Parts: sequence; structure tokens; C-alpha cells
Amino acid sequence: MAPPAERFVTFEIDGREVSAPEGSMLVDAAKYGDVEIPVFCYEPKLGQPVGACRMCLVEIEGIPKLQTACSTAVKDGMVVVTTSDRVKSAQNAIVEFLLVNHPLDCPVCDKGGECPLQDISFGWGAGRSRFIEPKRHFKKPIELSPLVAIDRERCILCYRCVRFSQEIAEDYQLVFLDRADHTYVGTHDGRPYVGPFSGNIVELCPVGALTSTAYRFRARPWDIEGSGTICTLCPSQCNVELTVRDDNTVLRALARDNVDVDDGWLCDKGRFGYEVTSARERITEPMVRDAGALRPVSWELAMEEAVRGLDRAGERTAALVGGQATNEEGFLLQFLMRSVLGSPHVDSRRGGALDPEQALALARPDLSAAVADLDTAGAVLVVGTELVDEAPILDLRVRKAVRRRHVPLVVATSRPSSLDPNAAAVLRYAPGADEAVLGALVAQLVGGDGERAKTRAGRASLHEAAEQLGMRRPPADADWSKLAGASADDVREAAGALRGSGPIVVIWGERLSHGERGRQAVGALLALARALGLNTGDGSGMIEIPTGANGRGLREVGCLPNLGPGLAAVEPPGLTAPEIAGALGDSLASLILFQADPLRTHPDRAAWERGLDRAGFVLAFSDFITESVGRFADVVLPAESYAEKEGTVTHPDGRLQRVRQAIGRPGEVRAQTEVLLELITELSGAPFSAQPAQLTRLMTDTVPFYRGLTLDEIGGRGLRWQDTDAAGQLPQTPLPEMELEPPPEPPEGLRLGVAPSLWAAPETDHAASLRFLAPRQQAELSAEDAGRLGIGSGDEIEVAVNGTSVRARAALRTAVPPGSVFLIEGTNDENATALTNGASRAVEVRKA
Amino acid sequence: MTWTPTQDVIEVQRGPDPGGLGGAYRAFGETLRGLKTVLGRLVEGPVTLEYPEDKTPVYPRFRGRHKLHRFEDTGLEKCVGCSLCAAACPAECIRVVAAENTPDNQVSAGERYAAVYEINMTRCIFCGYCEMACPFDAITMGNDYELADYTRSDLIFTKEMLLADPVERTPLRSEGE
Repeated sequence: MAPPAERFVTFEIDGREVSAPEGSMLVDAAKYGDVEIPVFCYEPKLGQPVGACRMCLVEIEGIPKLQTACSTAVKDGMVVVTTSDRVKSAQNAIVEFLLVNHPLDCPVCDKGGECPLQDISFGWGAGRSRFIEPKRHFKKPIELSPLVAIDRERCILCYRCVRFSQEIAEDYQLVFLDRADHTYVGTHDGRPYVGPFSGNIVELCPVGALTSTAYRFRARPWDIEGSGTICTLCPSQCNVELTVRDDNTVLRALARDNVDVDDGWLCDKGRFGYEVTSARERITEPMVRDAGALRPVSWELAMEEAVRGLDRAGERTAALVGGQATNEEGFLLQFLMRSVLGSPHVDSRRGGALDPEQALALARPDLSAAVADLDTAGAVLVVGTELVDEAPILDLRVRKAVRRRHVPLVVATSRPSSLDPNAAAVLRYAPGADEAVLGALVAQLVGGDGERAKTRAGRASLHEAAEQLGMRRPPADADWSKLAGASADDVREAAGALRGSGPIVVIWGERLSHGERGRQAVGALLALARALGLNTGDGSGMIEIPTGANGRGLREVGCLPNLGPGLAAVEPPGLTAPEIAGALGDSLASLILFQADPLRTHPDRAAWERGLDRAGFVLAFSDFITESVGRFADVVLPAESYAEKEGTVTHPDGRLQRVRQAIGRPGEVRAQTEVLLELITELSGAPFSAQPAQLTRLMTDTVPFYRGLTLDEIGGRGLRWQDTDAAGQLPQTPLPEMELEPPPEPPEGLRLGVAPSLWAAPETDHAASLRFLAPRQQAELSAEDAGRLGIGSGDEIEVAVNGTSVRARAALRTAVPPGSVFLIEGTNDENATALTNGASRAVEVRKA
Repeated sequence: MTWTPTQDVIEVQRGPDPGGLGGAYRAFGETLRGLKTVLGRLVEGPVTLEYPEDKTPVYPRFRGRHKLHRFEDTGLEKCVGCSLCAAACPAECIRVVAAENTPDNQVSAGERYAAVYEINMTRCIFCGYCEMACPFDAITMGNDYELADYTRSDLIFTKEMLLADPVERTPLRSEGE
């Protein structure tokens, strides 16, 4: 559904006829006539205006008192004056009033030079102060959180940060305390304001009251340059502007406000994670293993070793591509593997193969929703993903849809989600039962309440209903909700919330396609897409949240064992990541880790440990000595951080975006595309070189549905390939039909689920500001199970399967359904991947 | 038309012939007149200075080598590292990197201080804008103009050099002189 077309109305401002969209606030409408009205508190991103600062007072004909332009909607024939003496004196008075208690310590203040209060005082203030009395004093600066410092003297009480906390992040932590001139921003009981989005208040603050601890006093606006790029730390791929000083240091990350991607917000990982680019422990020179230890060597020597190792292994080489790789890097790496070494074993997924037919179906333009479609969706379904941890900015986008438009939200996850309180229906199921819960939803949507299947006439009508939806057969008659470990009422409620609500956007996590039943789970998802009519309505569709930041792009440029560039099926298919782990040392001799750390991120840690140990040669591209690299790599080539790369990435909704180089590469670091090209040249014997722009061209020419996309077209805002002519190049496939057979009975006992964590990532290890957020392993249990096992909250426990155990601290959560236990994936030690292997597993929990 | 050199010559003026009384006067009289001026200045004494032993005194508002200042009572630096001098500098020769004061390491009076303060004297054009921009009178232009050195890098003055009391080598012109 397209947003409703805007109607324009005509009004008069400062003696000029101006037309502006109906319903827009005067502040915005005035801009159509090139009239600037000063504001502090007005920020459309924050929702309804509050009119707190009174800076925007204007005179409107027919209204005796001055009105706030930020909260007065423009009307046809309105006559507005912004330059009369009355308005001027009001503006002077407001500036004077705001400055009464403002300390005016601009030379010390970080905001100085980019401060709206400075600008407005200069532009609309009286220019002289009459105030000689002592000012109000607060203790300053105080830590609002380890990331944000607050200076209460500078605060002008504009409400922006409080509104952000209350209405955008919805963490309800920031409030105004006390009264009158002693009002101050704080948390309820002085606890630190810690949340995944807390850094945004620094950017929102129109004065220097909220400053970032990491950026504090590092530079002034005239010392720095902004450099636009994409944050590739998670699949949200927010548009950021990196603040660069002296061409070699990133000092700060600001949002670049792309409404099609991020809506102008950043999560704290993106906002403070830039510190990894200048971390002291970063690898800045090539290293080669010598007598058991990695030793820095020259590039020549390292490349010689790398070429020798890969040449010896030849087609017995495998490659893992990490999510931070750009499309160009992925493209070159799969070219190196397939065409030079002759090995199809390249994988960017963690949990097994993706069926080629399903991959093509999932890529269909009519089935893929854009992020902006969430703003117009009739209902939203979140399946098998915790957005705040896996793609935080989409979490805010879903919250916005619910808060502003009361969109029914259905959350179907096995682990209690932070979106639960906003949901119209919550569908909780057992970990690993994604397939069953999707089947239950389909069965409910097709057949109603399941009673129908019991009679012959009912079954006939079921077939009819299924056929109407274009399905060959309704889902098999089974107790789907029981297999999913979900309550039948929840399924009914969820289906009810989705049925007939207009265009539906389904956000699903790539994780549900992992493991041995992954293919069936995607089949059930596609059946659900059909049952919900996602392929018919404009503005409906699905968004997949990949596990790697550029998961979609890497898939489309061919970093899958069974799919080449452009999702073209490859015969014979190569080995998937879990198979590579098992085959290393047998049929595979060497492994390339391209910004990948399988010991930390991939399931079945023991298999990877064994595989890496048995691999004859491991070549790693890495920016840090991760566990996989430190223990097993034979040659380490320093990797670029996202601030140093040049290339493109693909957003989960198909938007190609440009990653631009912001700073010089530190030390000996070279462009990875250049290194890959050199490897290709050395190994193939044919000289091969290309500039970054040529590489992009090569990549877009090879992927059929990227064809014709140029860097200029992609530009600073990105371009969805579905919106271009090239989309027609995607091989047309019908929605694959898989008859939904009930999955096998789940294992008995406590079932293990993994909890992805925003903070269980290398950024919390290497970015100094984020270090305090690094999670310790904890096991989330229901109170019922804990009581049965005699475990109290905070106890040290062991979670074990088949003799392998993980130590964790018990965390009792009432929202966790009995029968489930959740461990954090990707922690530095005691990682949940020690226990996962892609199958649904029952675990033993005991006191340590 | 052929050109003959004599066509351009309009008139030739000549002096008097040498010899006679007039000739004698021109030889001696004019020489003596010049000598009178020379001998007259000799009595006045020299106007040049024996630089570098003697130096020209400068006016109080002369803009020479910069100085950074401390508070006399507390000894804290006046500079808070606000970088306004660097912003004002047309030659872009000032570099400031600020840092935060801590209770253990209180360097300046405000919250921040200049961890690095460098002036590249090879670039400085001594316009004095830095002094005008400074909100705390932390930087002023001194009187010293003897800044020559053997290497360029020695001409990047650090905060320590600028804070140290300069050897006052340049005499100041007294009031009304």
C-alpha cells in the first residue's frame, strides 16, 4: 500500500503565498517558502510535537496570542507573520530566558560550534544579556551512563531525550525530576541509563547537556570531517556519517538519516563500535605461524606462504565468509575458490544449505518487503528472531508502526522477546520448533480451528480453502500446535490478528532455516506467505534477518556452496559450513577464514575445533586475533575495518548500499580486494587487477538482477534492486509448494534455545567504551523448571548435553515457558555453540 | 623611404668646454660641498645598531612569538583547549588536541585542557587572530622576533615551549618613545 498522496494547501507567510502539504506543522510548511522558524524541541522523528521550548512563536492572523509554529498545523488561507516586532521581541525574550541559567561555557562545551542554542542565540537573540544575578548550579558533569555524560546546567528542558526514551526506544528510563528551575533529566532512582539505543540522545540534544563519553573533548567541529558510509556491524546496515580527524582516526559515528533504512537512529553498537578501527590490539601487519606462534612478517613473505598453502591444497580448499565482507570481496573470494582453485566449498551461512528453489522464491521481488513498508503495513509478524539483538534498528521501526498506527503485531519466538509488550498476539513455542509453529499458523489460517478436519465435509472444504490460496493441499492433519510446544489459543489469536488486516510484513530470522529441518521450515514459511497472500498485495512481503551483516549480499554474489552469483544453482554443490567442519583433514586440506570466526559464531564448536586442528593450512583475513585465528591460522592477513573499505553491501530488503573509505588504513593493512586479486593472479598465473569501481561493475554485471546498477545510481541512499529494471533478470520461479508434513516428535526434556545478543560480539571486546556491556553466559529458565531443579536466580549452573557442558549463571524469567532454557550465543567463553549442532536438543541442567 | 639617422636628431645640447674658471669650480667646489655633508653626519654619530649585540626595541603592541599563560595564583593553565585559536588562524598553523581534566591531573581551570598545543612557526603569519579569538586570554603575542632555527621541525613550538617564560631578548620601547 503506497502512502496516501499529499494534498497541498496555500497560506501566506511574511506576505508571500506559499503552498505546503496539508496537515504539516507551520515550522515545516514555512520551509516551503524559505522561511526559517527557530526550534529546539521540535523533531518530527520523535512523534507528536510538545511545544516545550516556545522558540517557534509566530503571529497568526485572527488569533490574539502568539502561537507555537511547531504544533500548529497549516490551514488553507492562514496568514502567518514571523518578522513582526511582536514576534521578534518574543524570540528575544525566549532566548534570554533560556540563557538565564545556561552556563555559557561554550569554549569548554563539546557542542560549541555545532550547537543550535549558539546558532539561535546568534540569529534570533537580543545580542546582549541583562542578567547579572548568580546562576543556578548543578554538580557537573555526571555520568548518565558509562556512555553518556550529562551536564544539567546546560540543559534547556526541551524534552527531546525524554521523549526518545519514552516513545522511540520505549525503555521508559529517562524522566524529568523535580520542579521549576530545578527540573532535571534523570532516571527514576539514579540508575545508569543503559539501553541498546541510549547513544541517540546525544545526537538529539540541541545543547551540550548530553555528551558522548567517547567523543568528549576529542575534537571541535572545525577539526573534523564527516565521511558517509554504512555500518556493517549488523544486518540493519544503518547509514552513518563517521567523524574523522586528521584523515586517520574515526572519532564518532552519527546517523545519516535514511528513512528507507534506519529512520535516523543508531544502536549503541553502531554508535560506539567504531572504536574497533583504532583499537590497539588490531592486527596491522601480516603474520605467519612460526614454531607454534604467530610472528609478524612482510607482505611478500606472507603472500608467498599463502599462495604455497592454497596451491598445495588446490580444490581441497574450503572458505568461510564472515558477514562483514562486502559484495565485491565475496564475489572475488568465490571466484578465487570456484574458478581458480576449482573448489565449490564456499559458505557464508552457518547452519547448512539453502535449497536453490527456495532461495529463488525468497528473492522474488513481490515477496520481499522494503523497510519503509513497515510504516504502511496492516500487520507485522516477527518470526524466530529477536530484533533488538539481531537488527536493532528494525526493532525501533516495528515499535514505531505499533505506537503511531496501532498496527497489530504478532511476535512468534521461542524466547521471550522485547517486543512482547507491544504485540497484539504473542506466540511462544519450544526452541527449534520453528517449522511446527509456522505449520500451525498455516493450518490455522487455512482451516480455521482444526475441528473441520475431523469430518469428511470439513476436509473437503479445507482442500477448497487451500486451493483458493493456490496450495495443492492443506497442511497435513496433525496437532501442529502441540508439536510446536505452543498453546492452540495463542495460535488462534495470532492467526486472527493477521487475518484480513491488509498488507502484512513478515520479519523472519535466518536461523530458522538452519539445521537439518531448515528446508522444511522455509517450506512452511513459504506456505505461510501464500496463506497470508504476501505475494499479491503491494507493500506486503518478507524481510529476512540474516545472521551476518551482509548475509543477503553474500548470498546473491555466490558465497553459498550450492548457489553461484545471481543465485544460479551450482553442480555439483559444495560442502556447507557444518560439512566443511567435518571434512577438514579428510577430503579438505585447507581453509580460508574470510573475516570469519567459526569457533565463536558457528554451531557445534567441538566439530570446528577438531576440523581446524586437522586442517593442513588455514589462511585467515582478520582484524583481530580471534580464537580461531590465534589457535589455528597459519597465515594471517590483516583485514580492513568497515571504515576503510570501498565497496557495496546489500541490505536484507535488497537495497544495495555503498561502503566508502573514511580513513587511511593503519599500519601495513591493504585493501582486501587488492589482496584477493593478487592471490588470484598468483594462483592462476594470469595477471588480474581492477580498481574498486571496476570490481563493482564486474560484480553487478555477473549477478543478473544487479545488472546495470552503477555506483552513481546507488549513491548515498542506496537502491533496491527490486525497484530497477534488472529485477526482471531474476529467474522466474513459482512459489515452491511443499506439502506440509508434521515434523518429528521433539525430544523430551528441557530444550535448548540460543539467545543472540547484540553485545556478544567482537565490538564489546575491542571498543573501550562498550567493554562494560560484554555479556557473561547466563541460562534463562522458567521459575517452574528452576524450582523443580532446586536452582535459584543467580546460581552457578551447568547446562550439559552428552558430556559437554557450559557453565552459566541462572536467570529466572517468568516469561520463559517451562521446558525451555536459553543460552547466549557468541560469548567469549562458555559459548552456547558448544552445545548446539543444528538439531533440536534436550539438555540437562544442574547446579555447578 | 630610406631612413637616415640624422633625421631623428633635433638638437644637441652641450656643456661648457672644460678649462677656465668654470671648470676649476666644478672640480673642487662641488666636491667640497659633498664633503661638508659627509663630515657633518660624522659628528652626529652612527644610526645603525650592532645587531645581534644591540637590538631594535619594539613597540608594546608588536606581534612576535606567542606565549601561553598560567593563572598566577593557582598555577593552572589558562588554556582550556577550546581550539578557537585554531579555528581563527588563517594560516592553519595551530593544532590543539584536548583532553579531560581529572581530579588527579588538574591541568587547567575548566573541564578540559589542551593535551597537545602546537604552533608551526614556519607557517605563522603573526596576524594575532589567535590572541583575539582566545576567550580566556590564554594566548598572547609576545615581543620576541628572533625565531630562526636550523631545522623546520624545531620551529613547531609545543605547549611546554609556549608556556615557558621566554628569554626576554627583545627590548621594549618605553612609553612615548
